[in-house]
Amino acid sequence: MSTFVEELLFPLSSLILVTAFYMQGQEFIRPMIRGQLVQSILLAVISVMMGIITGDAASIILAALLVVLRGFLITYFLEKGIMKSQVHLHEKHVSVAYLFLISLIFVLTAVLIVYSVVFSGIRTESITGNQGILVFPLALFFQGLFLIASRRTTYAQIMGYIEEENAIVLFAVFLLPIPLLIEASVFLDVLALVVISSVVVVEKFTHERVVELRG
Amino acid sequence: MSLVFILLIITLILPLLSYLGYFSRVPRLDNAISLANVALALYLYEFIPYAGPFYVDFTTWVFILMVTSIHLLSQVYSKSYFRNQEIWIGENLFNLLLALFTTSMLFSLEINNLGLMWVGIEATTISSALLLMTEKTETSAEATWRYIVIVSAGVTFAFISIILIYYSIGTLQISSILAMKAVPTLTLNVAVAIALIGFGTKVGVFPVHTWLPDAHSEAPSPISAMFSGVLLPTALYVLYRIYEIDPLRDLFVWAGVISVIAASLFLGYQTRYKRMFAYSTMENMNIALVGMAVGGQYGLIGALLLLLSHSFGKAGAFYSSGSILRYTGNKMIDGVRGLWKSMPETSSALLLSSFAVTGTPPFGTFFGEFLIFYSLFTVHYYAQLVLLLFFVMAAFISVNYNITKMVFHGEAEKNGEEEPVMSGLALLSSAIPLLIGIIYVVVTIGAL
Amino acid sequence: MVGIEYITLIETLLQYFFVVGLSPLFAGIFHRAKSIIESKKGPSIFQPYYDLAKLLKKETLKPSGSGIIFIYAPYVAFGIYSLISIIIPVLIPAPIYFTASADFLGGAIMFSLAAFVKVAAAMGSNSNYSALGVSRMLSFNFLSEGTLITVFFAVSLITATNNPYTTNHFLAANPLQNISIVHIFSTLAFFMLFLYETGKLPLESAGLQELGMIDEAANYEYSGKLLAINKWNSYIKQYLLGSVLLNVFLVPWGLSAASPWFLLDIPVMFAKWLLLIGIVLVVETTLAKLRLFRVLDYLATAFTFSILFLIFTEVIV
Repeated sequence: MSTFVEELLFPLSSLILVTAFYMQGQEFIRPMIRGQLVQSILLAVISVMMGIITGDAASIILAALLVVLRGFLITYFLEKGIMKSQVHLHEKHVSVAYLFLISLIFVLTAVLIVYSVVFSGIRTESITGNQGILVFPLALFFQGLFLIASRRTTYAQIMGYIEEENAIVLFAVFLLPIPLLIEASVFLDVLALVVISSVVVVEKFTHERVVELRG
Repeated sequence: MSLVFILLIITLILPLLSYLGYFSRVPRLDNAISLANVALALYLYEFIPYAGPFYVDFTTWVFILMVTSIHLLSQVYSKSYFRNQEIWIGENLFNLLLALFTTSMLFSLEINNLGLMWVGIEATTISSALLLMTEKTETSAEATWRYIVIVSAGVTFAFISIILIYYSIGTLQISSILAMKAVPTLTLNVAVAIALIGFGTKVGVFPVHTWLPDAHSEAPSPISAMFSGVLLPTALYVLYRIYEIDPLRDLFVWAGVISVIAASLFLGYQTRYKRMFAYSTMENMNIALVGMAVGGQYGLIGALLLLLSHSFGKAGAFYSSGSILRYTGNKMIDGVRGLWKSMPETSSALLLSSFAVTGTPPFGTFFGEFLIFYSLFTVHYYAQLVLLLFFVMAAFISVNYNITKMVFHGEAEKNGEEEPVMSGLALLSSAIPLLIGIIYVVVTIGAL
Repeated sequence: MVGIEYITLIETLLQYFFVVGLSPLFAGIFHRAKSIIESKKGPSIFQPYYDLAKLLKKETLKPSGSGIIFIYAPYVAFGIYSLISIIIPVLIPAPIYFTASADFLGGAIMFSLAAFVKVAAAMGSNSNYSALGVSRMLSFNFLSEGTLITVFFAVSLITATNNPYTTNHFLAANPLQNISIVHIFSTLAFFMLFLYETGKLPLESAGLQELGMIDEAANYEYSGKLLAINKWNSYIKQYLLGSVLLNVFLVPWGLSAASPWFLLDIPVMFAKWLLLIGIVLVVETTLAKLRLFRVLDYLATAFTFSILFLIFTEVIV
């Protein structure tokens, strides 16, 4: 049973990456939010699977928290923000091909450097017994960073931030016993909520270069 | 439960109490409570080192002292600063956030757990974000957003470092990690290097410093003073605690030196005075980073001396900049002229503080920098030493040239009176580094 | 020994004539099936043959100013596709004559070569429409050819060899490998590429509208016999790509190389093609056409998936 579950971890983790690229390629805000929702739920599924592998009931709680906080609360807050703006929000001039290629170069370079230089030297093994699976959280993290860097809209940047959080949770799920994690993850969610609400207050949709903030 | 534990809890509660004191009928009760917190912080010296749920040694104590004092100063200053101006988030919320900001900084300094320290650092980001936007302008909103995004991303990255430390050592309690003397493994090396980038974002290490000048220049002056004087040092303290686990000295020293070079180059072409002081903060933080990385008798003491004097000096610099901004309404260096006639007290505070933050003898910062340079000499880092000396000198020239231009060149109409509290506070804060320097000299000579 | 070589010769001839002879039939089946789904009666499944026969009888016009390349390019391309059709396992799952000429990568490069010949000929025709189509084609091809090569790399990584036959055997023998990440994603990428190369929706490069025209523009100035050969080329290309997709990626099972049983490969390939046609029909009827500049995004997605998971597999294994 557990070997089968371990085999499934790889396709699921890669699906998480697919959602990340999906979010990267979206012009419209609402599909991005949905992408974020799917990503969080996949994360919860992976957490449950790790619970089955390690026999740790705490990961079920983590999964429940992930679904409730990320899946429901954050999605709700973000969608509410869109309602307020009352437009079919989207970002102009999103060239998917260009973004994908740059992101590919960025993520691969970062992952290969971090991974081949650093992690290949770490001889100890993660819980799953396969060190290789740590590639996915790392790639997700850098993809989140790139999403923040490549987009100009507030929402896209929040999404990048949430993606980074997801990457951290994924990283920790693969590497650590759970208890520390629950607290940290919940805290991250609270932070995200505050960030979101403060932004909704600001109602600043795009972020361009400002003359006064140069140099 | 020991007395010191209770006292440390009280230091965490007092900022919040001072927020409540703001509502009481007793005038200036809030300031009195903050003053009590400073006194309490001073008194804590009796109990160090202490390791329990909290971990406080001499280094921590210096930082606690800095945070409580700058909080007091900024609290008093903000009353005058916002007297004739509406606060966008409301005065009430502003004071609450200020208290929470201070508490979260104290919490990250005192707690004996790296994970919770990280939580504290994240909490400082949350509590300070809205403080940046007190003057609601398009630029300040943009600066706030950049601050939130860049710093959160960086600090989230730092969490990988915490995970790796826990993974390889099995505990996050600082006292037991330090007692354990962990063998440096590759995992630990990676963890510490990641922490340099992650927490380095908040300290202002070179490639990830970009939020720093925006936030400092757009925040209201009391908040700029808090950011520059204590928030960045708090992040530096956390970075130092992680560095202690596995000292990657070469990496940290080079990171510090390169950041100083970058800051010094950026300083060369600044046209706005608050932004200039922001880069000066980056420079000072990274000199302190170098000192902490070298460590030992000279490096660490030098860094502490530098940070302590710098926090007051930079507070003075931002307080006087705030007064000038209020008085002239101009953010540009070229737009402000002949201050010595129009604002004699503020301009002397500005001049003093500019000397203080650039390490002019006999200010405390000078002795701090001197000790750090000497420590570099003792560990034979000559290339780094020469680079630092050169670029610190360059920074000294850029800042003081601009400030003397603002103060002495040109003529200005005297179109109002200076706010006495504001200029007085600026003068007080910029005089403290001088005091620290003199005390240091006296103590050193006495010890000889 | 003589007997075995005799069989190999038969297999070689069978595969060659199967590919060249029956590739228009699959196109015909596809059009018929599509028409039926669209509630039309549709042309006969032999319509491509009628078209070819008609065109072969017609007069060939040569645009003024066009060079020698224009005339000979269709024949050269036909030769290249003929060679490919006996190199890769499109009918017989065992090495036959000429198989040793090239490996997977060689096959991919030969596809590129054929495309290059076509481009050169179209540019030689001196027509604005052709030049338009060629410039579109080239600006998309830098991604599609990259995907083609990385996909083949991804497949060869699994078996650590670049031999398509070994890959086919390995995948048929180890069913679990068919659900490995790299295989799933390279299959997806190759399928997307197949849709692009054969001009199916959501790309639809086969239409004659100038706005969306990609592939047809290269044929714009051709007529008569040369046009017939060009059309035949594209039928063969479609069959080759589709068969690689089927035999190496989607369903590697069911083929046999043993003496009398290889004849069974013909109905098996028919069955597999019916499956592929079914899948393509589902895609065609559910997706809308992408705007022209979106084609690049589509190809970038395919490219991203193929290369990302290629490299991850390298790290994970």
